[in-house]
Amino acid sequence: MLRTILAIIAAKIIIKLSRRFGNQGTVMAGRVARRLDPGILRKLAGRVEKQIIIITGTNGKTTTSNMIAQILNADGHKIVHNRAGANMLNGITTAFIGATNLTGSRSWDYALLETDEANVAPLLKEVDAGVLLVTNFFRDQLDRYGELDYTIGLIKEGVKGRRLRLWLNADDPLMSSFPQDTGLPCSYYGFDETPYDTLENHNSREGRYCMLCGEEIEYLRFHFAQLGVFRCPKCGNQNPEPDFVATDLQLDQGIAMKVNEIPIKSPYQGFYNAYNLLAAVALTRGLGVRDAVIQEALARFQPQAGRMERFSVGEREATLILVKNPTGFNQSLQALLQDGRSKNLFLALNDNAADGRDISWIWDADLEVLAEPGAGITILVCSGLRSGDMAVRAKYAGVDSGVIEIESDLEAGIKKTLGGTGQVGYILSTYTALFQCRKILLGMQSEPSVKAEPRRAYQKS
Amino acid sequence: MAQFNIAHLYPDLMNLYGDRGNLICLKKRLAWRGHECRIQSVGLGQAIDFDNMDMVFMGGGSDREQGLVYEDLITRAEAFFDAIEAGLPVLCICGAYQLLGESYIAADGQKLQGLGFFDFITRGSEPRLIGNILLETQLNGRNTTVVGFENHGGRTYLDDPRLEAFGRVVKGYGNNGQDGSEGLKYHNLIGTYLHGPLLPKNPVVADFYISAMAERRGLTATITPLYDSIENFAHQQVKYKILTS
Ligand SMILES: [Zn+2]
Repeated sequence: MLRTILAIIAAKIIIKLSRRFGNQGTVMAGRVARRLDPGILRKLAGRVEKQIIIITGTNGKTTTSNMIAQILNADGHKIVHNRAGANMLNGITTAFIGATNLTGSRSWDYALLETDEANVAPLLKEVDAGVLLVTNFFRDQLDRYGELDYTIGLIKEGVKGRRLRLWLNADDPLMSSFPQDTGLPCSYYGFDETPYDTLENHNSREGRYCMLCGEEIEYLRFHFAQLGVFRCPKCGNQNPEPDFVATDLQLDQGIAMKVNEIPIKSPYQGFYNAYNLLAAVALTRGLGVRDAVIQEALARFQPQAGRMERFSVGEREATLILVKNPTGFNQSLQALLQDGRSKNLFLALNDNAADGRDISWIWDADLEVLAEPGAGITILVCSGLRSGDMAVRAKYAGVDSGVIEIESDLEAGIKKTLGGTGQVGYILSTYTALFQCRKILLGMQSEPSVKAEPRRAYQKS
Repeated sequence: MAQFNIAHLYPDLMNLYGDRGNLICLKKRLAWRGHECRIQSVGLGQAIDFDNMDMVFMGGGSDREQGLVYEDLITRAEAFFDAIEAGLPVLCICGAYQLLGESYIAADGQKLQGLGFFDFITRGSEPRLIGNILLETQLNGRNTTVVGFENHGGRTYLDDPRLEAFGRVVKGYGNNGQDGSEGLKYHNLIGTYLHGPLLPKNPVVADFYISAMAERRGLTATITPLYDSIENFAHQQVKYKILTS
């Protein structure tokens, strides 16, 4: 008991100090607390009364868990929720300590724990979760653990024999074997035909082979990346019947769709976010939240930091986008090319642990679109710890060498970018450079010297 | 101006971590020199005429995929090896490199047969050898450094006296983390654990292949130098990072 209190006090002091210095990483607090009291996470997690929910998968786990948090808050529940990027055991411990009181006796209705795929098994050993939601399995940062099969195997092993319900993506061929392999109850969510489907897959090669028999899987249609309608010609493995099915998808302005006939609207954009919405609706419906609460919470919910966040620097608009894998990179490039204005583009590539030490993935993204006529790239500044690799990628994508600039320093790079002749700026960054880029943009936004002086619109009126 | 044909073996199966960067690189560097480059994908059961190829490329894959590839490739092994003996430029990465040997013995004792082109074996083991790697090697009579990223569970032991390593490890693990060797080189074949975009950041290695291809076509032995400042910057940036870490 005393040990627990000491651990909580020490960690709370560290959290407070790191906040004062504007540090986003509060992983250290959890580490110290776990050293002082190795059982701390188990104890605090034991205070969750209704359900502990774990959210994992390659893409969209942060957005999906934020959406779920929004819905559960709107439904009047008290929740614990860990911060993006602090999703290993230390970060999760920090989240609990930040939310508890000094004696560790506070309780919550739900815990919402977003975690890395490889951390699911270790986490389950310490917290008694009732629900595991998987968003998708794309190739991402695999250098830390080896290959995709191995990662999926870790999750299957980790959940076996536990009292868990799994919420899975019915359109991801890598998830159809979960009921057989784990023996656990599985609920699936998936899309019906949409007007955005294609018959051909552009870039992602993952999951082309059947998890049950190894045969190449046939696709009848692709919704998005390797998510689609599939069938194994050898063993008949196919999309599981979804418990929650999304229909009438519209991506024109924000997202509109129906999930089991309930109309859902969101200011988010892109098919990948439609999947996040679907997962959040399915899971919260499964928890018994009323339709009206879900609808209203999602309609109000705005994208946050680094997910197409807009800044205005002087008279120019700059959009900050997080990229972390080929699929996400391609999505960002597509969004950027839909903008008809001429662009100053900034690409920051870091190779810290949270970015993935292996930067080979940039070659799986289709930067070739930047060299297409009409792309309107006036300057392309490559920055970050691996600015050179980014520049080489751009050069071999066919971008004119005269347009490419290397400026490893983020601040100098962003200034150079926004000083370009393009009408609008796009700042793309990998995870560990994102907060710095954001800070730099916020600083430039408030600098009066950069602001254009006489406003024409003002004079006219 | 000539047209070069590069065969990309099993792009659907053997294609991890940006391997395609190597092909993009060769194609561009040929184009900048006024040559065309056709890349032919060869899948399971599809025909390939090694005599009509200027180069062969094969990337890495997972164990299951490697098994499928072995079954298919063993039926054409003889023609492939004859072409290698005759100087065909070949680049084999990770899993493709391991396939050139006798066998791969997994950590649980399970044995995957290799093509047996060379007397070497690979043993699967923990932990995986992961990280940036720096090599020293000699290509076209020039000393050069090679930078890349490795991520492999297999430890490869070259026991064949005909074989030389692709390079000497300055920092990193290489074939097995013990003997300081990385990859193998035999005539114009290179097998290596340096995955993903090996060639773009190592233009000397890319041009080794291009001059080998040109020479076999009886084209001028000296290829036009290119302005590689961006490539060299990236090379130096990683090299500096590795040496100072
Ligand atoms: Zn099957």
